[in-house]
Order: sequence, then C-alpha cells, then structure tokens
Amino acid sequence: MVEAFAVASGKGGTGKTTSTLALGMALAEDYDVTVIDADTGMANLLFHAGLDDADVTLHDLLVDERDAAVSDAVYERFGMSVVPCGTSLAAFEAADPGRLRDVVAELAADTDVLLLDSPAALGSKSAVLPVVLADRIVVVLQPTVPSLSDGLKVQEYAHSYGTDTAGVVFNRVQPDENVDRIAEQAGRYFGGQTLASVPESDAVRAARREGKPLLAHAPDDPAADAFREAAARLDVRDGDGRDVAERFKSAVVPERI
Amino acid sequence: MRIPRGELRRSRVVDDAAAVLRAVLDEELTGYVVFEPQDALLLGETTRGVVTFEDGIPVLAYDTEREVGGRDGLEGFAVTGPTRAAVHAVDAAALADAHEVEAFRIPPGEPARVLAGDERLAEQTVDAAPAARREEGRDQSAVEAFLDDTDAIEEIRSEAREEARARASEWGLDDVLADDAGDSAAIEPGTDSR
Ligand SMILES: Nc1ncnc2c1ncn2[C@@H]1O[C@H](COP(=O)(O)OP(=O)(O)O)[C@@H](O)[C@H]1O
Ligand SMILES: [Mg+2]
Repeated sequence: MVEAFAVASGKGGTGKTTSTLALGMALAEDYDVTVIDADTGMANLLFHAGLDDADVTLHDLLVDERDAAVSDAVYERFGMSVVPCGTSLAAFEAADPGRLRDVVAELAADTDVLLLDSPAALGSKSAVLPVVLADRIVVVLQPTVPSLSDGLKVQEYAHSYGTDTAGVVFNRVQPDENVDRIAEQAGRYFGGQTLASVPESDAVRAARREGKPLLAHAPDDPAADAFREAAARLDVRDGDGRDVAERFKSAVVPERI
Repeated sequence: MRIPRGELRRSRVVDDAAAVLRAVLDEELTGYVVFEPQDALLLGETTRGVVTFEDGIPVLAYDTEREVGGRDGLEGFAVTGPTRAAVHAVDAAALADAHEVEAFRIPPGEPARVLAGDERLAEQTVDAAPAARREEGRDQSAVEAFLDDTDAIEEIRSEAREEARARASEWGLDDVLADDAGDSAAIEPGTDSR
C-alpha cells in the first residue's frame, strides 16, 4: 500500500465521482489502484462504472453479521479494482459506517493506491470518515464562490484529522473562463498544487450515460487529457505501508451514524 | 423585495423539501413557494423564506425574516425537519421585475442542494434548466473578489475548524483529531501554496 486519497468537495455535483474514476484509470497505468465508493448515502459510482447490477456491494460489507467477504465486493473493471456501493436507503440505514475502516484496511493491504469517492456532506460520522481515513485529500472544485467556499470547509475538516491536501482539481471549467488567476489565488488557501483544469465536456455526460469512466469512453477528449495530467502531477508518496495500517487501526470506530 | 401575491395552489407540511421542489419542477410552476420550517415555530421563532420559479426552475431565494437574499438567504431557512410549503402561481410577466434583482438570484440546483441535500434532484433541475441558467453562478470577477478577501476566507476557515472539532467530540472522533490541527490549519495565506 502506498497512499490513500479521499476525493472530496464538501458539496455534490462538482465531479467527485467522475474525477475518482478518471484519476483511478490514469494512475492504474503505473499503480495497482482500488477505487471505493465511500459515498454510502448517495452512492452513484456504480452507474459511472457499469456496475448497476453488482450483486455484492460495500453496503453488504458494512452490516453487522455479514456473510460476504471483502473480495466479493471487488470488481475488476477498466484496469482497476472497483468497490461499488448500493443505492438502497434501507441498506444504508442498516450499514454501520464504522466498519468502513476495517474494509478499507483490508483493501489497503492489497493495493498501491486507494481512492475514496467521498460524500457530498460533512454533517455525519459516515460522511467524514473517508476524509479521516485517507492520507490526503484531492479537492474537486468548480470555479464558483459556493464551490470554493465548500472546498475550504472540507479542507479544514481534513486538516483537523491530520489529513493533508494533495491538490486541487478545477472541474467543469467553461470555455470562456480562465482559471489560471483563480487557481493562483486559491493556491494561497489550498494546500498541495493545482492538479488540473478540466473543461466542461459533453463527453463526460456521455460517458456517464454509457456507464463507463471518461478515460474509457473518450480517452482523447480534452477532459480526459486534463485528468491524466492531474494524475501525473499527483506525487503519490511511497508511504510506509505499516503506518497506514496502524492509522486505520487507531481510527476510533464510531458506532452509528 | 416585492413578489406579487399569487394564487395559492396548495399549502401543506412536508417532511422533505425535495418533494415540493420535485413537484414544482414536474408541473413547471411559474410562481413561488413559501417555506416555513416547523421546528423553529415550536421554539417561538419564525423562520420563513421564499423561492421563486420560472417554468419549474428556481430563480431567486429570499429569507423574509432576516431580509437576506441569494444563497445566504437560502441557508437561513434550510432547517431540517418538517416544513410548511405554500405553493403559489404567478404570471411570468408579474415576476419579471423581482427576477431582475441579481443579488437574490441563485443557481438552479441550489434549493435542492441546500434545502433538501438532494444532489440528484439538483442535477435534474440543472439539466432541465435553459442553457443560459446552467452557466449561472459563474461570475469570474465575483470569484476573484471572494478569493481576494483574505479576512472573509480566514473566517470561513476558522468557523469550519471549530465546527470540525466540535463535531469530532460529538461523534467520538476526538482521538483521531490531529494534535496540531489548530496550527497546521491556521497557515497564513501565502505560505500554504506549492
Ligand atoms: N467536466 C465535466 N463536464 C461536463 N459534465 C461533467 C463534468 N464533470 C462532471 N460532470 C457531470 O456532472 C454531474 C455530477 O458529476 P459527479 O462526478 O457525479 O459529481 P459528484 O460525485 O461530485 O456528485 C454528472 O452528471 C457528470 O456527468
Ligand atoms: Mg458522486
């Protein structure tokens, strides 16, 4: 295990799930990558990865007397190991978010890079847990005031738990927008580096409709190029594997949401 | 803020603002909805806000008690728990003046996101909105001005920091708080960049 990243933004719709899969596919060129849909309350990674009918999902691993093995919820797709989460509200309510730590620890033992697609909220234990468990966060922002403001909040939460910022991805950038200046200003407040500026692209929506990650559906699209650039800038750290395992152990397990 | 009195279509207490926003989107309402969170009433407070719509798409938000509009206004009446929602229809022409007030306008997906925490509905709303509306909330100079206001940003950060610590105790996550969280997060602008 090298490093665990939480892909976070504070609010939804900025492109966390899109970014998680795109960064995952790009990093998979060099690393063993595992992608987890840790947005257990509003899971949608399964739709982006063609796993709508996945039999066993993360939800099945978070229940009390589970009979599924962690490996049952791992699907080899697009060169990555993908752990989708189900969308049923009942399953979410039955899930014990604290168990996420054990699941993540088990998955971490077997992979280089873990990407946690994180919830679009900060209001519950289950929502902050991915940020607590990760080594660093990748903040996905749109160049708007609400998005920047939410991004700052999620970064403060992460820092409070000792989770640093690896960098910032500006997503859904309009053709007439120049984010260089915004990125430069934002760099004063956000840690890490500006990883990329991803244009608004129809290919992203089309990919989602197809149930494929962007890099599989339209590898030559400018948005795909931008995500590859982001992955290349992400200086994945050769962390001490044991360190990570230790941290996962010591993370206090919250009982219920 | 003056919104022309419309024709009351229905008024009921709902558990979830999303249901109202979805219905309004489906019926392509032009008019407004008055939201009145009920829990605040029990505490003897009045919280009330208005969201206006054009063909089912939210246009502006206004907190009638605090007299604040726009996204800040919206947050004023984003209270969890049951809320009374009174749906009114108004002629589009009669709403046009009110809709000119730029400062009170909100991006189309914001009410679903802020009032209901419903990201999917927010997405559907944005998808259903006319192209011009989809680009809203993207005023580059406003973003630059926001990022230039280091005091305001430090306030957002320190509030978030306090909130994070308070909630960590609430959730029993105290033990995993970083010891130096206070310091590392308080980095002055300029030293935190690459
Ligand atoms: N660069 C982009 N260009 C166009 N649409 C995008 C882009 N990034 C994301 N989207 C679309 O925005 C919506 C939200 O993206 P998603 O990745 O699901 O966000 P989140 O996980 O943060 O809620 C989806 O419909 C997605 O297809
Ligand atoms: Mg998502």
